Amino acid sequence: MKSDKAIGKFGPGPLLAILATAAVLIALYAVFFIAPVEATMGIVQKIFYFHVGCAINMMVFFSLCGICGLIYLIMGGSRGRVASFVDALGVATAEVGVTLGAVVLVTGPIWARKAWGTWWTWEPRLTLALLVFLLFLAYLALRAFTGSERFGRSVAAGLAVVGLPALYFIHFAVQRWGGAHPQVVYKGGLTVPGMKLAFFLSVLAVMLVSATLALIRTQQELQARLVDDMFLKLDAEEWK
Amino acid sequence: MHELTSILRQFAVIIRKDLTMEFRTRDILYPMALFSLLLVVVFSFAFLSDPTRVRDYGPGIIWVTVLFASTVGQNRLFDRERENGCLWAMLLTPASRGAIFAAKAAGHFMFTLFMEVLTVPLIILFFDLPVPHPATLVASLVLGTMGLSLIGTLFSAMLMNARMKEVLLPLVTFPILMPVIIAGVKVTALAVGAQVAEDASMWLKFLLGFDMIFGVVTLLLFDRMIRS
Repeated sequence: MKSDKAIGKFGPGPLLAILATAAVLIALYAVFFIAPVEATMGIVQKIFYFHVGCAINMMVFFSLCGICGLIYLIMGGSRGRVASFVDALGVATAEVGVTLGAVVLVTGPIWARKAWGTWWTWEPRLTLALLVFLLFLAYLALRAFTGSERFGRSVAAGLAVVGLPALYFIHFAVQRWGGAHPQVVYKGGLTVPGMKLAFFLSVLAVMLVSATLALIRTQQELQARLVDDMFLKLDAEEWK
Repeated sequence: MHELTSILRQFAVIIRKDLTMEFRTRDILYPMALFSLLLVVVFSFAFLSDPTRVRDYGPGIIWVTVLFASTVGQNRLFDRERENGCLWAMLLTPASRGAIFAAKAAGHFMFTLFMEVLTVPLIILFFDLPVPHPATLVASLVLGTMGLSLIGTLFSAMLMNARMKEVLLPLVTFPILMPVIIAGVKVTALAVGAQVAEDASMWLKFLLGFDMIFGVVTLLLFDRMIRS
């Protein structure tokens, strides 16, 4: 059976995992040893590198999830290989995105406590991160309650697609909501080259880790469905 | 041209059907209106009454009431179609899906507006809310409700057969509707004369943009979703 071969195959997962590990170690080295300690905020400023790295990647993964939903719906919810892959990728990107969002929402207040003297402010970027996080928690809840059959898949894809323009509107509304000051105070002021290097390395490292997780989760989801199909087939044969 | 008139006629027929049924059963309006009334009473006990600050929390009370009551309407919106499989019968007719969606959304819009006509004056009365710019208030309610109806109708149709639909629907729609609430509260705050350093027209345009974009997106998605 050709479906047997797909089970237990690793693909590029392990290689990517090794790359990601190396990238995280290098980024950590750059953050703590190359980038200088920021003058006014001190050591706490080093949260910034992974915090913003996670935030950027969260947005990237949520956008990917929306695009996956769009492709799935354009294909008309067929049971073909591409539709199935795109759907599994949608689950994986949403789950990784929610994980990154949790990191952002935990590290953000720690940073804010030191930088602004308060655990939480309704600063536009924080608010945006919170709302988008909630939107994709709803996506995962939807998937959990509507199942992974055709119905659940297309409903979730629909939510992800509506989420794309909603992201834009939420972004705009949140920027203006705080008052008549749309200009956001930039958090870092990355003028020192060491800081820039550490920042870009962190973004890259988080991206590699997220990609590894998403890839493994996609494979796992596809294999789980294969196993389900095989089980149903066996079950049907037994009843013959 | 002929096609357009036929779509408009289908739209009118479905709306008339829904309004007739609603008029005879009051299945949607009655729970919606009663629920919003109860919310207003709850709100009057939930806040320490401070007449000097009514402009600060008044807009919030109006919009939370509208949002919650419209959710009650969304939950019931496709119940009649689900029972006896009437939606499939409707889809089997040559009526265009766009007309079906638009008619259902328009129905929800009308029911919610009707509820607002009852509730919002009551809020103004109970909380002694001054309204120096009534036209702005009406504009924000109409444009905001349109957004609520579009998103609500789409997900109500999508989740029609889902388990725990009543719980899932607000979970899914509230994050998407957050911009509507933000803009609605802002414009309403301006309408009641609160100290907000912004102009109402920007937020009204924002609401109009939301309605237009999601009008197209929900229409296209409804067509796609109902097929699968």
